[in-house]
Amino acid sequence: MEQNVRDEILAKLKAAPKAIVPTRPHLPPYKTLSMDREQLIAEFTARLAEEAVVVHRVKDLRAAQDKLSEVAVEEGLKKVMTSTDDVISQLDLPAWGKKNDIQVMTPHEFPDRFSYRDAVFDQAQAGITGADFAVAESATIGLIHNKDQARLISLAPILHIAIVPVDRIVPVYEKVMEKVFAKKGEYPSQFVFISGPSMTGDIQGVLFKGMHGPRKVIVILVG
Amino acid sequence: MKEVSLFIPCTVDLFAPRIGEAVVHILRRVGVNPIYHEEQTCCGQPAMNAGYREEAKKVAKHFISVFEKDPVIVSPAGSCVYMVKDHYPEILKDEPDWFRRAKELAPRVYEFSQYLVDVLKVEDVGASFEGKVTYHESCHILRGLGISEQPKKLIQAVKGVQLAPLDNADSCCGFGGEFANDFPDISESMVKEKVENFLASGADLLLLNEPGCFLNIGGYLNRNHPGKKIMHLASFLATNGREAEYGN
Amino acid sequence: MEIKTEQFTELAKKELKNDRSRLFLKLIPPVMKGKREAGLASLPDAPAAMACGAAIRAEALSRLPELLQEFEKKATANGMKVVWTRDDKEANEFIKNLAKEKGIRYVTKGKSMVTEETALNELLEKNGIEVWETDLGEFIAQQLHLPPFHIVGPAINVPVEEVRDLFMRKIGLKDPTLDPVQLGYAARLFLRDKFHHVQMGITGVNMAVAETGTIINVENEGNIRFTKASPPVQVSVMSLEKVVATMEDALHMIRLVCRNCTGQRLSVYVSMDSRPKKKDEIDGPEELYIVIVDNGRSKIYQDVKARDALRCIRCGACLVACPVWRQIGGYAYGWAYSGPMGQVLNPMLLGLERTQELYRASTLCGACKSFCPVGIDHPSLFLYYRAKDVLGDPHFKSVDRPWIERQFFKMWSWAASTPWAWNMGVRMARPYINKDAKDGILSKAKGPFQGWFRSRDIPAMAGFTFHDRWKNQIKNKG
Repeated sequence: MEQNVRDEILAKLKAAPKAIVPTRPHLPPYKTLSMDREQLIAEFTARLAEEAVVVHRVKDLRAAQDKLSEVAVEEGLKKVMTSTDDVISQLDLPAWGKKNDIQVMTPHEFPDRFSYRDAVFDQAQAGITGADFAVAESATIGLIHNKDQARLISLAPILHIAIVPVDRIVPVYEKVMEKVFAKKGEYPSQFVFISGPSMTGDIQGVLFKGMHGPRKVIVILVG
Repeated sequence: MKEVSLFIPCTVDLFAPRIGEAVVHILRRVGVNPIYHEEQTCCGQPAMNAGYREEAKKVAKHFISVFEKDPVIVSPAGSCVYMVKDHYPEILKDEPDWFRRAKELAPRVYEFSQYLVDVLKVEDVGASFEGKVTYHESCHILRGLGISEQPKKLIQAVKGVQLAPLDNADSCCGFGGEFANDFPDISESMVKEKVENFLASGADLLLLNEPGCFLNIGGYLNRNHPGKKIMHLASFLATNGREAEYGN
Repeated sequence: MEIKTEQFTELAKKELKNDRSRLFLKLIPPVMKGKREAGLASLPDAPAAMACGAAIRAEALSRLPELLQEFEKKATANGMKVVWTRDDKEANEFIKNLAKEKGIRYVTKGKSMVTEETALNELLEKNGIEVWETDLGEFIAQQLHLPPFHIVGPAINVPVEEVRDLFMRKIGLKDPTLDPVQLGYAARLFLRDKFHHVQMGITGVNMAVAETGTIINVENEGNIRFTKASPPVQVSVMSLEKVVATMEDALHMIRLVCRNCTGQRLSVYVSMDSRPKKKDEIDGPEELYIVIVDNGRSKIYQDVKARDALRCIRCGACLVACPVWRQIGGYAYGWAYSGPMGQVLNPMLLGLERTQELYRASTLCGACKSFCPVGIDHPSLFLYYRAKDVLGDPHFKSVDRPWIERQFFKMWSWAASTPWAWNMGVRMARPYINKDAKDGILSKAKGPFQGWFRSRDIPAMAGFTFHDRWKNQIKNKG
């Protein structure tokens, strides 16, 4: 039955007459493509500011840890959930947490998805992740979701802190896709672009942040 | 002397002939000799808009046979010019000979302000008017034919005139041919909004160069704001803004 | 959702008297237009970008069966389950059966226009499965049993007092606040609980990428991401025209849809799914179903001109462009799709007879066409549908026009191509039309023109037409 439905629909589509298709015009390149590293960082920072993302620039991972401590105090953080991606794993956040009297949870310590889900919904005051990419075209960070980058960490807690090494900033989304979808059969289950805090204007057009996803995003730019 | 063939739409012919007279007047003033084929009737838009393409084709063929020998055709109605240039080839595409004739005719048909400014290179037609005017951008003229600067140049060249901006100038006035009659509540809401914008502009006179819009907005003004005046651009230029009564 | 497309004129009349809607319609569209313009200005060449959008969608449509097959092949190879459904019944049945099989008691839903078309929510509810719309606007509209007012802000017109009352009734709001932000936060808490425990989520699909077998969703709130992260089962419903060839094409369309919709360079979240979660991942779906819905589209597709309506990427720009929509809002159009995009889509999906007023309620002003990032020529499609309606074309489900209208246009076109008849007709009609003229103005007249005269006058038909004036006066005055 399923095969029949599929074949029926496809047969109908294939039997249709051919149409003339308009030609694609030439598109001038995005301005970020001609920017150097510092310009890209400045552009990215400017875009983040437009989306009310708090941005801290630090020179290295050590400084990032210190900045994180400051942020934790400002935000009154006692319990956080972090991913275990390649940026975060360089920060040794479990140790950092002990030092700062903050409980640092990671998904791996949970026996199953449902207990992890409870924790990330109800207990984590913030989700801390690295960033696989950042795109200067807009206020965008890119996350490949996998065993070291669970989806709910950057979504459920009311605060999302992203540690972004500046060498991950690229000019346009295409550069990201080239890498993420490079190998057939090895695509991530999910890839997301995040551009600032969650937002809506659905009640009388009044815009506000923090509808379902995080209400606040803090980016620590490293390098 | 240069000669142009007048294409006077049925709306002007029957309900606002002074607009046609104004066109003749201005053309003569700038040294052009207008001729008028008395066999012309209508461009066929009413049938086209109602979906009666066979009937519209009949009218199109008559139009083409009346005008196809003319090197230049000028009309004070952008929607009718659009009908000829854009829709005639579309509806005649299954009749190769008529299609060819329609395609050959299309580039020779001009809207009035377009003809003066783009072809004759004339902006100052010797008119004068002390006062504030504002300009409504009719849909077929602006978006259909891409004409916007030309009428404004003609207005701005009028001695003593002040051209005030109109809010939502490019928003439809609610005429749309049959639409105004078939969807009167929505149409009324649209023309009311247009008039509110006119009143808010502070202008003494609303100018436009589309007879349908003229009849629509003018009709609403006459019923609801009898002191407020509207003129077709040709009439404005020909009479220095003096003959703004709605009737003919 | 009850289909009310036949009640357009009455609904429009009602909406014209709704002061709250009118106030909203006066204030918000100019803001949205301004945002759109600012968003487009951030592109190096906006007109070229829009033309490119049109080409991408037109190309995708011209290759539709091939791209759908490629998408299916890649998606299936990656572990997604692709299900084809011919119509609303099949799509709804599949989802219902899946939910029942899994013992699902409730689902969370990310915005999906095609499921509003198929009335999925009603079918699930009837079968004991609770449905929670989670986009704030959709949630409000769902709880108030309202159709969408605007495709992207479905309840954006609902007065804040009504939202407060609703939330106090339905979601346990205690503080009778009128602050939209506080109300939003109350909804957040309520729906958060649904996300927390959900076992099956349903989303729509903004774009399906054939090259990689990936589905893409854009959103600002995060409800779609939650629906894709929290439950072990995900169902993403896609109307079959949503496919594009490559990821590069998809990126370009995303740039366009976000700017044209809200003026954003990118919506806050863009999520791209290529497969269910891998074994070692702790969230995301174990099973991912893509339900492809036809529901009349393969039929529309047969007509090369009507096919252009399928280019639509649901940005909603045509709504705020449209001077008709800006008078009446979304309810009058009577179904899931309103504004010009509804006026080109509904007649194709429901048939021309059921939607007669929809494709006629346009002045053909062209504002929609000028805003459309995929180059749909709405006015041309309206004229095309009107012509098909006159022809009584069964493929488009149209039936006959009134006999008297046919005769009128037959006679009229004969007269308009026969000068002596035209002139005679004018002479004969004039005294009849001008019967009630006063001082050269008509404020009323007998016949089928009552609509005009409700709010307007018209000059009396000229006793001395331009024809007459030329012949007798001005011809030789040169």
